[in-house]
Amino acid sequence: MPKITIDGKEIEFKQGQTIIQAAEDNGIEIPHFCYHPKLSISGNCRICLVEVERMPKLVIACATIASEGMVVHTNSEKTIAARNAVMEFILINHPLDCPICDEAGECKLQDYAYQHSIGESRFVEEKVHKDKRVQLGPHVMFDGERCISCSRCIRFCDEVAKDSELTFVKRGDKVTITTFPGEQLDNPYSLNVVDICPVGALTNSDFRFKARVWDMSRTNSICYGCSRGCNIEIWVRNNEILRLTPRHNEEVNSYWMCDHGRLNTFKFVNASDRIDSPQLRVDGSLQTVNWDEAFSFVSNKLKQFSKNEIAVIGSPYATCEDNYLVSKFAKTVLGTNNVDFIRHLDPSFADDILRTEEISPNSRGAELVGVTPTKNGLALSEIIKAIKEGKIKAIYLVEDDLLSYDPSLEESLEKLDLFVIHTTNFNASCKFANVVFPAATYAEKNGTFVNIQGRVQRIRPAVATTELDRSLDGMSLSRLDKFGTEFDRWAQGKKYDAKSTWKILTNLSAYFGQKYKYQTSEDVFIDITKNISEFNGLDYESIGLLGKELSLEKVKI
Amino acid sequence: MTQVNNSLKKRKKDLTFWQKIYIPEIIKGLSITMKNMLRPKFTMEYPEEKFIPPASYRGRPVLVMEQNGDERCVACGLCSRVCPALAIEVQAAETEREKERYPEKFEINMLRCIFCGLCEEVCPEEAIVMSKDYELAFTNRDDAIYGKDKLLIPVNQLQDRIEFLRKYK
Amino acid sequence: MSILEIIIITFIKILFILTAMLLTVSYSVYFERKISAWAQNRLGPNRVGWQGILQPFADVFKLLLKEDIVPEKANKYVHAIAPMIALFVAFTTYAVIPIGPNINVFGYEIQLVVADINMGILYVLALTSLGVYAITFAGWSSGSKYSLLGGIRSSAQMISYEISMGFSIGGVLLLAESLRPIDIVNSQTGWMWNAIVQPIGFITFVVSAFAETNRLPFDLPEAEPELVGGFHTEYSSMKFAAFFLAEYANMIIASALIVTLYLGGWHVPYIETLNLPSWLTILIQIGSFFVKMGALLFFFIWVRWSIPRFRYDQLMNLGWKVMFPLSLINIVWVAALIMIFKI
Repeated sequence: MPKITIDGKEIEFKQGQTIIQAAEDNGIEIPHFCYHPKLSISGNCRICLVEVERMPKLVIACATIASEGMVVHTNSEKTIAARNAVMEFILINHPLDCPICDEAGECKLQDYAYQHSIGESRFVEEKVHKDKRVQLGPHVMFDGERCISCSRCIRFCDEVAKDSELTFVKRGDKVTITTFPGEQLDNPYSLNVVDICPVGALTNSDFRFKARVWDMSRTNSICYGCSRGCNIEIWVRNNEILRLTPRHNEEVNSYWMCDHGRLNTFKFVNASDRIDSPQLRVDGSLQTVNWDEAFSFVSNKLKQFSKNEIAVIGSPYATCEDNYLVSKFAKTVLGTNNVDFIRHLDPSFADDILRTEEISPNSRGAELVGVTPTKNGLALSEIIKAIKEGKIKAIYLVEDDLLSYDPSLEESLEKLDLFVIHTTNFNASCKFANVVFPAATYAEKNGTFVNIQGRVQRIRPAVATTELDRSLDGMSLSRLDKFGTEFDRWAQGKKYDAKSTWKILTNLSAYFGQKYKYQTSEDVFIDITKNISEFNGLDYESIGLLGKELSLEKVKI
Repeated sequence: MTQVNNSLKKRKKDLTFWQKIYIPEIIKGLSITMKNMLRPKFTMEYPEEKFIPPASYRGRPVLVMEQNGDERCVACGLCSRVCPALAIEVQAAETEREKERYPEKFEINMLRCIFCGLCEEVCPEEAIVMSKDYELAFTNRDDAIYGKDKLLIPVNQLQDRIEFLRKYK
Repeated sequence: MSILEIIIITFIKILFILTAMLLTVSYSVYFERKISAWAQNRLGPNRVGWQGILQPFADVFKLLLKEDIVPEKANKYVHAIAPMIALFVAFTTYAVIPIGPNINVFGYEIQLVVADINMGILYVLALTSLGVYAITFAGWSSGSKYSLLGGIRSSAQMISYEISMGFSIGGVLLLAESLRPIDIVNSQTGWMWNAIVQPIGFITFVVSAFAETNRLPFDLPEAEPELVGGFHTEYSSMKFAAFFLAEYANMIIASALIVTLYLGGWHVPYIETLNLPSWLTILIQIGSFFVKMGALLFFFIWVRWSIPRFRYDQLMNLGWKVMFPLSLINIVWVAALIMIFKI
């Protein structure tokens, strides 16, 4: 391996790497705005200037290929002076509006102004004025004055989203970014430009001004939008999800996620149609009851049916742990083999970047942990047929909506003797349900999803339910969470009385005389690893932040 | 040891005979209190007679209201961040004004506030200042949470403090 | 006079003394607060009534409405009896203190004293020693360390100072050749006040009186920095008020005793040379008694706001090594005076 010396430290690099990449791989940070590891090199911000011995001038670390024996100084007098000069130059026309700017707190320019700037400007003239508040696309707002023309957003659209929509116009200090005539920044990955924008020039219209980054807690989780399983962070303030951002995982989603996943997969958590406690149908309408009443009603009812009259439907939206217990509950407690789940497919959703045809996060997991018909059990299509024929009299539906899947079931669902649903929000099927259990959303529980590649990944609770306590249950805490009391309005965010499906089933089994000894979802997972060969040898710790590939043959996308 | 004894002896010597018999000293003490009894009193008879604090006084924090009735605050949240007692809650929102951000909700919990003045010090817009108002009494917790309606004070009433800040901040 | 008349007259006298006593007690509290305020350049209570004149009543009402808390570990009965003893001792002592010469009302010769006992001074000494029980009981029965320490301190203090107090009175008794308070007063006509004749005895008596009433600089039983509230830490509501009243009543009795024993009682020097009508003379004499007593009360309060508290060892040193010998010297001095001048 060839070697270069950076700041007196000899490091190895791969042939063809630039200085900045070699440094990054070895934990040396060279400041940069326009450089992004997944985008082409443009070299226009000049903040990464470094001194290379025997080179007449300073060079930009992002565009200089490292070569054997190079000696690089990133903190020499010359580089520091150059960096200060570049900062001063960039800040000439950058408005001093951090108090207004949403990027404040996670802004590269702000950080570098503290780290690499002398803190003074000699520029006394009026700053240049450009267009502010330009809606570049349905989700992205642009502020021309804040832009430092690093071109990351333009390169992203060209190279990653493969949909050239943005470009520079004008020259010199008047340079600004705009969409091509007749175009809009509306590609399905448009919001990634907000993440990669090093300043507050591009902002997310959905999140704009909602919260300061330092007031939110962030929880590592997995996107719920499709079976790609993009790694995400959930940002929560006052027990309410405010935004999702992608988390780097080179094996799955790199630095990106799609707009659908970012915008449409968290609002239901705090929506007004969330179910807040168990519901029991009394005289034709759903009434709030306590858990015990609901459990004893369901268990008493279920005992009245013969095995073949019951069908249990698991869910590709629920975790592996949930599905494992669904299958176990159905096959051992209820004794039925009519177990399956609904596959949600949308070919129009898929693309060749991240999105997949399967628009649920865990269909592979559901399949693997055994939510499939066995020993002459009925598969989903047969179950539906049997419902219509009246052979199935009781349905146990977990975290899904049977009616929306097959609207022709409306009449037959009405005739069912028992229809039990676990769901997070009210859905169309609830109209016919006898009992509705409030299920915890993916943002309120621990668990695992298996994505389309067969990679098992962890989700963690970001939002507390009534049975969760942020600090006692090891959830991530913001400053406000740490110090808030019940008397502070900013700490009284709504907590729903919902439970994970595995927990509901564990409790319900007790009414059948079956005592499952699961205390946490990890207990369930350990049971899975013991009983299902694909999961052998795994535990939550080894899955870690980035997940673990299961030993399966790859599935075609 | 000898040194200790010496110092003890010295201390005993310090009292004269007249001091040792107490009585003249007691009379001295009594005369001091008597003198003070005849002096003018400092007490301020509060509800009728009110203390008008100097500009350096830190009373309850208030938001500056411009002449046109708009608040100066841009809801940057720095006061809320710096507040050691977490008394301030700010919720920003967008407006059509030139400064596109404004506080949709700005609440100070006066039960939490410790009148340290850090919010005022950190404010980049000179939008939150410590007023001279010290008359704060509530009968329940909810009353102690001051919203924008109570916090906004016209700028001309706060001139004193603003000038003080410009001079010394 | 028939027995019935004596009973009625005595009853009226008791009523008069009791009312006067309670009023004086409440107003001495008021003046305590006022004088302390003045000494500290403040105004003092001035909101209830004109210049706060109704403040004592407001205070009493407040105390009446307070919850009476008895500690769980307290001995309930003793805890309740202690403040009663304190009040009882304070008020009954007053029975033997004359406030003026005999007067004639509707043909009755009336002595201005509730009970003219020939050994009145002994009665006073006996009762004041009983006062120790109030404080000791209160301290012990509260079941609190602070109270107990306060109670112990005060009994030690009161016993120590009672000795010098008794010996100081010895000088007075030698001169008056009687234990009757009226005789003692009458032995001090003109300028022959005991304060002048026997100044050492006067000083030791006054100092002992301060110690006996637990007033600063001798208020160790309730030394706030060390003992919270001392013996009355665990008292609240009217029981606390009883101790409070007793303290001030004791102060008044101490003042009255000092006036009787050392400042000539109701006597005003050379008043008979003015040839005033007898009713006016008597009025002036009664007035002079109260003026003397008021001045002493003021002195009590004034001292409290001027002089810091003694340390406990200093207090004991002072009692046993200074006050006790001085009071003995005083007796010798008075005896010598009698021998030399054959008074």
